[in-house]
Amino acid sequence: MRWPDRLAGMIGGLLLLAVLVPMGLMLWSLLEQGAGVLSMDFLLEDPRQAGRAGGIAALLVSTGWILAVCLLVAVPVGLGCALYLSEQVPAGTRRAQWLGGVLDMLAAVPSIVYGLFGYQFFAISLGLGFSILSGALALALMVLPLMIRSAEQALRGVPMSYRQASEALSISRWGWVRRILVPQAAPGIAVGIILSIGRALAETAVLLFTAGYVLRQPDSLLDSGRALSVHIYDLAMNVPGGMPRAAATGLVLVAILVILNLLVRRWLRPAQGAWQ
Amino acid sequence: MLGKTLKGFLLVWLLSGCQPAEDKLVITGSSTISPLMAELAEQFEAQSGIQVDVQSGGSGRGISDARQGLADFGMVSRALKTDEQDLTAHLIGRDGIAMIVNAANPVTALSNAEIVAIYTGEQQNWSSLGGNDAAITVVHKADGRSTQELFLAHFGLNNDQVQPDMVIGENQQGIKAVANDVNAIGYVSIGTAIYEADAGAPLRLLPLSGVPATLESVDQGRYPLSRELNLVSQGELSETASQLLDFMTDPDRAATYHDYYFLPVSR
Repeated sequence: MRWPDRLAGMIGGLLLLAVLVPMGLMLWSLLEQGAGVLSMDFLLEDPRQAGRAGGIAALLVSTGWILAVCLLVAVPVGLGCALYLSEQVPAGTRRAQWLGGVLDMLAAVPSIVYGLFGYQFFAISLGLGFSILSGALALALMVLPLMIRSAEQALRGVPMSYRQASEALSISRWGWVRRILVPQAAPGIAVGIILSIGRALAETAVLLFTAGYVLRQPDSLLDSGRALSVHIYDLAMNVPGGMPRAAATGLVLVAILVILNLLVRRWLRPAQGAWQ
Repeated sequence: MLGKTLKGFLLVWLLSGCQPAEDKLVITGSSTISPLMAELAEQFEAQSGIQVDVQSGGSGRGISDARQGLADFGMVSRALKTDEQDLTAHLIGRDGIAMIVNAANPVTALSNAEIVAIYTGEQQNWSSLGGNDAAITVVHKADGRSTQELFLAHFGLNNDQVQPDMVIGENQQGIKAVANDVNAIGYVSIGTAIYEADAGAPLRLLPLSGVPATLESVDQGRYPLSRELNLVSQGELSETASQLLDFMTDPDRAATYHDYYFLPVSR
């Protein structure tokens, strides 16, 4: 190998290391501060004393509900929008560029804006108050642009020849969408959904003013419930002595995200190409 | 399959809408009060069975949520202003605001004039105040925080005059900023500062006008920069709301107040 190539390789490696080291340090500091309180009981107990004692069971339940309702709204709507874009708006036209641009802009809106809108619209105007429903709907609005764009790209990626073949066989439009287009694009759509789940789980700002801070187990979707990310924020920022449990909750959240990622990888691998 | 799930959720939603929500109290506002409030709410819930939801977000939010009827009580960590007299304030406790510097900073006291000079940017180096030859990092609170309003009012400052190096939100952020910077100066809730200093954070609480920043001096009314902790409400209190208020001001709650380094109001 010529020396400039070798040098470039080395610099690249160093840059990679420069990215990995802070990530390792971050995890280490979470472990250092939080490992002491992390235990099975931490996962199974409800929080006490504003989160300074007890565990995070109620928060896992709230987070699960928020995520479930968010996906229940965002996935069908997102897929519907993506289908419209890929089927009715030919790529490269002015309309496609406009709609794509608007979606990209929405995706770039700071999440606190979605939070304030959710507070005004869902909590106050629709009278849902501080509730899991308000939070989940505001969160769904936030992840929709990402969901639509990634699903749209997956749908547009299905080869034109498939469409031509289905037309030649005079398969109905609905049959084409249901039997060929969506199954073919499924891995891409799934990746979009997983990315959205990741964003939703990590989101704090949207939920501060909508799903709220309540530490109790929610009885219904109209109860306020604190998500894991909000718990980390509140413990680290507002509660004196909350740092160890904030770090432990952070570790749990990181673990959930990693597991989610691994599951998706495993789930997608055999599916690729084998999809009929 | 998807249809079934949807129907199931719709059912859950409808059923949940049928639940009576009348014996539930919603309290929002000051992030200074909310940890204390959350714990007292927990105790109250265990005793009375009445649910209390505590939401954080700042005193400004407490005021606006109480006005809009979104909350039964707003938590406001200051006295009500003249344009907020449509609300009723219920005093539940007291807290002071402490000037803090890093424990490694040799400065042990500052006069009011010196603090004003620091915050207006006239004094930018610790050396002439008896400290190291280093630039001062001025940590200031964001707008809408009652700690900031009280600080400005006490020192007769206008927010435009302040030249901050760092603008922060919550108390813990102020603690972290000063604990991590030898040359920083900031101001936070006395309770939080004492708690963190006791827990080993490298902080020093400066006396104000010669009065030490302790809970005792706040309690005795000697500490010049103290504030009221209020629950504010609009209109008449419901029965459950006044029950909660009685519970909070009961002398038996004093230990919980002290856990959060606040002073209960003596009845």
